[in-house]
Amino acid sequence: MKHVVVDPVTRIEGHLRVEVQVDEASGKVQNAVSSGTAWRGLELVMNGRDPRDAWAYIQRICGVCTTAHALGSLRAVEDALGIKIPKNAHYIRNVMAAAQSVQDHVIHFYHLHALDWVSPLEALKADSTATANLQNAVLANYQLPFAMPGGISTEAYPKDFPQATPAYFDTIKKKIQAIVDSGQLGIFSAQWWDHPDYQILPPEVHLLGVAHYLIMLDKQREIVIPHVIFGGKNPHPHYVVGGMPCAISMEDGNAPLNAARLDIVDRAINTTRALMREYYVPDALAIGAIYVKKGYTDGGGLAKKRVLGFGAYPQEPFTGTTDGGFFKDLLVRCNGVVENFAAGVTKAKFTAVGAEDLSNPKIFNESVTHSWYEYPEQADKDAALHPWDGVTKAKYTTPKEGTETAWKALDDEGKYSWLKTPKWRGKVCEVGPLARYIIIYTKAKQGLLPDPSWAEKMIIDQIETVSKVLGLAPEVWMPTMVGRTATRALEAQLDAEVGKFFFDKLLANIKSGDTKVANMEKWDPSTWPKKARGVGLYEAPRGALSHWCVIENGKITNYQAVVPTTWNACPKDDQAGHGAYEAAMMDTKVKIPDKPLEILKVVRSFDPCMACSTHLFNASGEKIKVVTTDPYMGTQTDD
Amino acid sequence: MEKRETMLEAYLKKGMSRRSFLKGCVALTSIMGLSTDMLSKVVEAAETTPLPVVIWLHGHECTGCDESFIRSGAPLASDLVLNNIALEYDHLLSAASGEPFEAHLEETIQKYYGKYILAVEGAVATKDNGIYCMTGGKPFVDTLQHVAKGAAAVIAYGSCAVSGGIQAAKPNPTGSSGIEHYIGNKPLINVPGCPPIAEVMTGVVMHIALFGKLPPVDSENRPKQFYGNRIHDTCYRRPFFDAGMFADRYDDAGAKAGWCLYRLGCRGPETYNSCGNMRWYQGMSYPIQSGAPCIGCSSANFWDNAPFSDRLPKYGPLGDIDKIGAGLAIATTAGVAVHGALSVVQKKKRQDEENDGEQVKK
Repeated sequence: MKHVVVDPVTRIEGHLRVEVQVDEASGKVQNAVSSGTAWRGLELVMNGRDPRDAWAYIQRICGVCTTAHALGSLRAVEDALGIKIPKNAHYIRNVMAAAQSVQDHVIHFYHLHALDWVSPLEALKADSTATANLQNAVLANYQLPFAMPGGISTEAYPKDFPQATPAYFDTIKKKIQAIVDSGQLGIFSAQWWDHPDYQILPPEVHLLGVAHYLIMLDKQREIVIPHVIFGGKNPHPHYVVGGMPCAISMEDGNAPLNAARLDIVDRAINTTRALMREYYVPDALAIGAIYVKKGYTDGGGLAKKRVLGFGAYPQEPFTGTTDGGFFKDLLVRCNGVVENFAAGVTKAKFTAVGAEDLSNPKIFNESVTHSWYEYPEQADKDAALHPWDGVTKAKYTTPKEGTETAWKALDDEGKYSWLKTPKWRGKVCEVGPLARYIIIYTKAKQGLLPDPSWAEKMIIDQIETVSKVLGLAPEVWMPTMVGRTATRALEAQLDAEVGKFFFDKLLANIKSGDTKVANMEKWDPSTWPKKARGVGLYEAPRGALSHWCVIENGKITNYQAVVPTTWNACPKDDQAGHGAYEAAMMDTKVKIPDKPLEILKVVRSFDPCMACSTHLFNASGEKIKVVTTDPYMGTQTDD
Repeated sequence: MEKRETMLEAYLKKGMSRRSFLKGCVALTSIMGLSTDMLSKVVEAAETTPLPVVIWLHGHECTGCDESFIRSGAPLASDLVLNNIALEYDHLLSAASGEPFEAHLEETIQKYYGKYILAVEGAVATKDNGIYCMTGGKPFVDTLQHVAKGAAAVIAYGSCAVSGGIQAAKPNPTGSSGIEHYIGNKPLINVPGCPPIAEVMTGVVMHIALFGKLPPVDSENRPKQFYGNRIHDTCYRRPFFDAGMFADRYDDAGAKAGWCLYRLGCRGPETYNSCGNMRWYQGMSYPIQSGAPCIGCSSANFWDNAPFSDRLPKYGPLGDIDKIGAGLAIATTAGVAVHGALSVVQKKKRQDEENDGEQVKK
């Protein structure tokens, strides 16, 4: 048995360490440890702030999924204060959300994940003519013809079609050769390029992959242009509680939004859709197909057993989340849990998640047995508390081997992470694009998705087409490392279409004469109740996200964010078992224990975002207020 | 010591012509705000200056600064990372992980000792021996001090590295601060912003790559070329401020007409940044242009100068003027007087500098 540590895990957001016990003879991972190694305490910084500023602070949880937390926060504060935003603002936020999801997925696939699959050194062995032929074959075989229905077509021809000539690939090869010859490998330094997994794909796929890595590094910036127009910048665009700050006028030369400004967004959306159609989806499917056909269908872990979603893209402005308004008109109704998908879609079990579940401490709670926190003495050692009931007192412990400031091996029998362990009905769940796709597919096949929206139909079409291409049933290819990466690509294509869908709605609404972008009726704190609480749900790129706030006397008195990477990267729970990262690592075979490329590949298939996931630490260990949000009884706070 | 490549050598080595090298220089000249008659100097610098080795460390951060860096329109991220600098260590983009990656960091430090640029994103968590930010099994503060020792200069990217940022806002649970006191006496370039504008971030590195020296900085170590003006002084909405034309509410007639956002809490009058002149995405927009008041994200400790809807001069350096302007009936008038005063100070300073320059020439 070999103990292997990888710290830092790079090409992720934030600070992550993994440790695995590998059986050297079989390559089987017997035990896995995932540890979030940094904690910033942002939720504590929120206390006493003006709730109208909350989005700006909490957006800084993460600059990679920038805006996910701002949007979650706005929904929570607007839920608390009873603010319904204008149509234009709702559509604009959804355009921004869609742009963010696409861009995040693109960066993940091409810049954070790709170098687990392709190597610049292997690319040098490629034949340029064969690579050009491969590019044509990839486009012919792996483009998916799905799009949102109707829509205003503003693009005459695709502007970003992939190059497929031998001369082009020659140039890329020469460039790579020159970098290798220079001895200064820069970002390509020190990787295990001799790992046998880099032999899985033919050299031409490596060259294609490296070429598209470079193209996408320069193109990704265009995907988030809607943020720059609507929110003034990216990362971290600006918002306003009650709507959007970007006033619309077709009569004022200096208006933040006019026809010319909207045309810039339109161009960006066209580019985005083309990049998904011509690059991301075909590339991911081409690579994934080779892996699957060579038998690499491991790394599923918890996805086989249990996935969770909250639902995405309310189609129209909604009244709130606590009153259930959020769930009424979702474009993607993935709110619920699917268990045992690996047993087949008909045998899988679906359980809905609604507003009433979120406040029920028996349904959603967190444990800290293996987190660097402790619960008070009156609570059982293995207690699991609802997030709002959570006591977050730090309890940093030394590692099993090494010292407090020089770790050798973390203590997996004791405490080992700054992440808590969130649970649904006492069980751990995986969240993310794969979870959303499993839930929609299961609901559809079990007759639980009446009148599917165009987006839900597109998800089903995508899954069925890919299943045909791979010759495998969804329950076989989806809950795997490859499936996690492939569904993210499919979802990026969906999100690109969603962006177009809401942009068209925005144009139609402006055309109808409505230019309102902000509801300022409850801007002044004098209009607020003395006490108010709210929750905001958001399907972030990495999965189900919830923001919770308590407002008293015009100030935030409690703020909590339960984020996707906490669900996925959490330490184990003595009753519920291993979280998604750990379970996926334990479902992965390692060829060379000293070079655990497979471990990194499966962890990166989740797109780790560690700064998001580390929890609030209340230095004095005070009990945090208990907030109950009940759709019938209203919201109560127990001090 | 192995000879490091010049930018021209890198261009030639990577199969590019001198012609494309010159084109690169033209783009850089304009992005760095230099007039075209500086082109020959840029070309000369690029031909003779060695390619800088960059080590990029991450402390308490959100990775928004990396993300901004790769949004750069000119230079493009691919050109910058593969042709103009040798980015030997970076948690976001580097291929390697774990032990070999940490070993590569040590090799890089030794090989380029005293020569490399250290770029730092994120704050230093100092409380409880630094255990709130561990990387490679060690506190980040230890790694920072270790790597800074061999650096030629240090770039603090973003408000977290400059002044502690969001995690240092009250009550600062992890004892976070900017990096200034943890890098010894190394030359420091502060590039504040949450995040900084992409082309400002890349522009600082390109300045070093092209001229082989650090960009001129102000008294707070900020590059003068990017932080020399208040947003207010370069804001396209400034004429509305001067004329007393303001948006009073979001989405009101003034907001639609693009009038000044001062009354909505805009921090432009006290914020030094390039949002007004360079803007984001190569001139496409900045928060004010999109109707959102500036929150002063490049000012030290701006997170505690809140609520953001409170208007100046309640916060910031203009606060002192409250007393001076106590007799004035309208806060706005005080604001006008104050910003006018600051502009005069700046103008005077520039005149003094010019005079100094002339004296030297004589």
